[in-house]
Amino acid sequence: MSAERALSGDERRALAREISRLANASVTDMLAAPPVVAARSARRIGFTGPPGVGKSTLVGTLVERRAARGAGIAVLAIDPASPYSKGAILGDRIRMDRAADDPRVFMRSVSSRDAQDGMCNNVADMLTRLEAHGFDEIVLETVGVGQAEHAVKALVDTVVLLMQPETGDAIQALKAGILEVADIIVVAKSDLPGAARMQQQLVSTVQFGVQRSAAWTTPVLGVSVETSTGLEALEEALDAHAQWVLEHRDAGEVRHTRARYRVQDLIVRQLEHALAALTPAECDMPLAGLYSATLDRLRSTKSG
Amino acid sequence: MSLAGKRILIAKPGLDGHDVGAKVIALALRDAGAEVIYTGLRKSPDYIARVAIDEDVDAVGLSILSGSHVDLVRETARCLREAKADNVKLFVGGTIPHEDNPALVDAGAAGIFNASQRIDDVIAEMARVLDVG
Repeated sequence: MSAERALSGDERRALAREISRLANASVTDMLAAPPVVAARSARRIGFTGPPGVGKSTLVGTLVERRAARGAGIAVLAIDPASPYSKGAILGDRIRMDRAADDPRVFMRSVSSRDAQDGMCNNVADMLTRLEAHGFDEIVLETVGVGQAEHAVKALVDTVVLLMQPETGDAIQALKAGILEVADIIVVAKSDLPGAARMQQQLVSTVQFGVQRSAAWTTPVLGVSVETSTGLEALEEALDAHAQWVLEHRDAGEVRHTRARYRVQDLIVRQLEHALAALTPAECDMPLAGLYSATLDRLRSTKSG
Repeated sequence: MSLAGKRILIAKPGLDGHDVGAKVIALALRDAGAEVIYTGLRKSPDYIARVAIDEDVDAVGLSILSGSHVDLVRETARCLREAKADNVKLFVGGTIPHEDNPALVDAGAAGIFNASQRIDDVIAEMARVLDVG
């Protein structure tokens, strides 16, 4: 897709149905599906952070700015499913309505359903499908709890981690070990009291230990959508990181990491079916027997 | 009844700024297993149709308290048709006098609800129209 061109209604509909098909595809469906090949890769940016920190609002604002400059952008926003009804309220769109109003933007809300890592089933394939459509940038917004940070790291080029002032998040983040996955850390709602201190804490935390790569220094940026503060600095950091990825990240390694994630997604789902299929007698077996019975089931159980 | 696997867009077209009803319905639909997308307030029929396409929904539910339900339903139905989303069922709820029902059906509504109805009945009727009841 040329960046200047808006998506036609037919393109939108076809793409939307393709995403639905992937959301519903079983392990067996996925194994039988023809490969999707993207002619060129899009820039993939992931946004993660605790619920309510302002991911959707920030994504909406950024996408609006970037689309206005001519970029074709797809947004995949994942929201949690209710563990009781399996239903979901997919509310990210409310905070992105101005961006979603741009005809160059394709925005899709996805339920995490029963995915255990805060993503959704077949998310890797959804991203590839969007890439194959020719978008310049793809934005992935996670549910923002638990393991989502690690999954998003495997799937995108740049991980933006949002933290909120005055919530004790710096310490929580240290405990959870989520700072390491961030390529850029944003102290969101930086107009609120405590933001500067939070930012300072994070800067020193980043300096004192979590820095894994010698070449990329994770910036900690205060951003407030409310007062339009820090957005330019964030975009500069995004561009700088994209450049760093081009120069330093091994494309083969990225491909292999994504391939591992993709097959893990299928195996984890298959494992759930296998565990559910174990008989009471098998469950009563000694661990080694149970283990090997489960591995047998993993091969023989038909996926839903 | 279950609406499991159904995707439903709840939308507020027009100028009224009250969305408690829309949110109550959204929660009830979620509890019935549906994946509910909510647009937020004051959206145009054209925008609503575009979201319906991007989100590949099975149904759109319009919440309207402003009195202009007939026009807004007709306009939204037209936008959906133009977007070739004829398969998307259109529901409307709000402060709607019974005598407007024929005009709303004529305008394209597949289900019409008002505040005097029990939530369970609303969900059951939507499930029936969406053929999962």
